[in-house]
Amino acid sequence: MQGKPFQFNKVRIALLAVVVTFLLLFLAAPLVVVFGEAFAKGLGAYFAAFTDPAARSAIWLTLITTAVVIPLNLVFGVAAAWCVTKFSFPGRSLLLSIIDLPFAVSPVVAGLVFVLVFGRNGWFGPWLSDHDWHVIFAWPGIVLATTFVTLPFIARELIPYMQEQGRDEEEAARLMGASGWQILFRITLPRAKLALLYGLVLCNARAMGEFGAVSVVSGHVRGQTNTLPLHVEVLYNEYDFSAAFAVASLLTLLALVTLGLKTWLERRGAQSARAY
Amino acid sequence: MHTAITISDLSKHYGMFRAVDSVSLDIPRGELTALLGPSGSGKTTLLRMIAGLEQPDVGEIRFQGQDIAGLAVSERRVGFVFQHYALFPHLSVFENVAFGLRVQPRKQRPPEAAIRGKVGDLLKMVQLASFADRYPAQLSGGQRQRVALARALAIEPEVLLLDEPFGALDAKVRLELRRWLRRLHDELHVTSVFVTHDQDEAMEVSDRVVIMNHGRIEQIGSPQEIYHRPASAFVMGFIGQVNMFRGRLPGPGGGDLRHERLGAIYFVRPADVEIQRPIAAQAPEHMLKVSRIHAAGPLVRIELLGRDAQLVTAELTQERFRELELLPEQQVQVQFRSIHRFDS
Repeated sequence: MQGKPFQFNKVRIALLAVVVTFLLLFLAAPLVVVFGEAFAKGLGAYFAAFTDPAARSAIWLTLITTAVVIPLNLVFGVAAAWCVTKFSFPGRSLLLSIIDLPFAVSPVVAGLVFVLVFGRNGWFGPWLSDHDWHVIFAWPGIVLATTFVTLPFIARELIPYMQEQGRDEEEAARLMGASGWQILFRITLPRAKLALLYGLVLCNARAMGEFGAVSVVSGHVRGQTNTLPLHVEVLYNEYDFSAAFAVASLLTLLALVTLGLKTWLERRGAQSARAY
Repeated sequence: MHTAITISDLSKHYGMFRAVDSVSLDIPRGELTALLGPSGSGKTTLLRMIAGLEQPDVGEIRFQGQDIAGLAVSERRVGFVFQHYALFPHLSVFENVAFGLRVQPRKQRPPEAAIRGKVGDLLKMVQLASFADRYPAQLSGGQRQRVALARALAIEPEVLLLDEPFGALDAKVRLELRRWLRRLHDELHVTSVFVTHDQDEAMEVSDRVVIMNHGRIEQIGSPQEIYHRPASAFVMGFIGQVNMFRGRLPGPGGGDLRHERLGAIYFVRPADVEIQRPIAAQAPEHMLKVSRIHAAGPLVRIELLGRDAQLVTAELTQERFRELELLPEQQVQVQFRSIHRFDS
């Protein structure tokens, strides 16, 4: 019996060592490298990377894309989660699987699909060019691709949460005379507030960081259709390492902020779960 | 007797399962009606169809003679109390009760002062006036259910529906709350229907009991009628404790043995089993053996074993028990004061 705790300790230390090694190798080291390289040529060079017009354009495009994508996803996510959890209808489980499609499909394939549909030789290509509307190799294409890739985030956070809450409260509100909108805004959404915020944070991070799908539809026009991740790639391919890492550090900072927000929301969620 | 709700030939299927099977029922105005039955008997489905939360496949429901099939849930003026309270966790007790008033269209909505007054009165009525600013999570189960009741009454419903309202509470609170609900009903006289699987609850609280089984109504009657004149073997077995005998009765019987025949089911309540000291010349097959004595309680429960290990439960007063001086393993004989027979 006395040997057992010791054995257990050995296993525990071994497991811990494996985990720590992986974390250092794959998470901590890259983080150090990003910031190290970003500041390699000094503070001046670091900030110069952001004053460059191409960089500003990339930041701007990323912000605009995110600003369009998030509300779209919010509407879709809430609508989808509401449908799936509060109503029973034929095709409900099919809808549930379709919501996950963007997770299963490679982002590059998603980008190619949009090129096939909206590109010059695509289904709507001739009609779009007749009206002088540019989707592919322009910002609408970037918005479309980003929306597609981030579509499941909010719905996926809301669905399990709303499912667990059941329908009783909504039914109670309905019986008291509340309309559908009143139920949504006064009962369902306030109750699912934390899950919604959590989904928004994740969606935001992915929208700003998406590379594959956006890369296919953007056309890489410097100063016009490059988002932040694409801009990093361009700088890197031009051997402008310190600028590439400076811009990359911005994306990394965003990831760290996301992580912080996520942890905070989870803690809040755990607290309110105890309170209810 | 005025009828508040008329239900005619109502049915609801879930796949192959007949949840409610051609039910017709009149619910009298101002009375408290219990829908009583085992789980899966269709009582909750029936209640939810009255509320409009489920759509019937066939049949019709009328409120004061008016068909409500076309009425939206929100227009039926139904107060509903859920088993698990269904309070809004992010709203205070006050706002929970005020919800039904605040969501009314602007033209009908009472002014703020009227809402405050009304919610205050309701909270006083459910004895929670000092809890207005608390949140549901800070209340006990019994308090939560009282908030739910105040909230359901805030819209001045035509009908109050309660789905296992005491089901989530512990035994002592359950008992208090159901007596309180009865007193409240005597003051308000709002037509109420409540679902329960607890026969004591149904018998104690309600004016009328509707007993359901397999989606059908077995019997409708006052608690006394149901207890003394059960309409079927199911009702007899469901209400209170019974001894059930198939085909023949044990002992020489005080019951009329000429009725004894195969295929019949006999029920005798434990309180109707009279234990007697054996008379000397009794045939051994008419004797029963005392196997267990439970004397802790107002009544003494005795378990007797007859021929073929037939178990008979008897209940007698402490006084009678002392008089008989019963001991385990003792041989006794029984007489049945009252026997219910149903032919199967």
